[in-house]
Amino acid sequence: MKKDFRVQYPLWQMAFIILFGFIAISLTGASSEMIQNDLEFSYSLQFPALESILLFITLAMTFILLIIFIMKITNHNKRHPQQKLSFWQIKPIEYLEEDEGMIYITRRAAQKVYTFFVWALPFVAMIYLLFNLSRLWIVIGILFLAFMQYLIFYIEVRKYLSKDED
Amino acid sequence: MLQNRVKELRARYGFSQGELGERVGVTRQTIAFIEKGEFSPSVTLALKLAREFEVKVDELFWLEGEKPS
Repeated sequence: MKKDFRVQYPLWQMAFIILFGFIAISLTGASSEMIQNDLEFSYSLQFPALESILLFITLAMTFILLIIFIMKITNHNKRHPQQKLSFWQIKPIEYLEEDEGMIYITRRAAQKVYTFFVWALPFVAMIYLLFNLSRLWIVIGILFLAFMQYLIFYIEVRKYLSKDED
Repeated sequence: MLQNRVKELRARYGFSQGELGERVGVTRQTIAFIEKGEFSPSVTLALKLAREFEVKVDELFWLEGEKPS
């Protein structure tokens, strides 16, 4: 069960969030120029050397992770045809709902995430209000909230599943 | 807190958690949670478990501090 892709899914999301953070750092380090008049329209982005390398490495890693991620979902769907997962499903992939015990675990984990947001959202909103932060820090703040959401969910589910033994 | 004899009766009947789960239509993990008292099953599941062990529900589950029937 601990190796179930739905249990591991928050770890994947956390990895993608970290990569997105690096992409945000690279892009906010770039200088952009937009020309728009009757004769021409152009938009250019210029990256300093370090940001260029960072962006290239991050995009490459994102691409590789995405391929592995798709393979994992395909494998899961082959092994569990009755619990098929899809990228496009509205319900979060990490929900475990095959019986009332699993629904209970999911509910406990979701409650912890909800409690986190009840405190974290006003806190972050207050920080944004008090400090004149750049676009990058606003993005990092949002990514931090998303990262914590998956981390809390994962820890709670693992806590229950690691206790289980036959 | 709900107390139960699921583990004891499962051992008596020689079922593994997985086998018992299959018989009552839940996962092995859910049986494990019930045995540890971490999860109180629904009335439906309690009835199914009692039927598997051929006992009454109140012989299988009881409230903490009360004696089982």
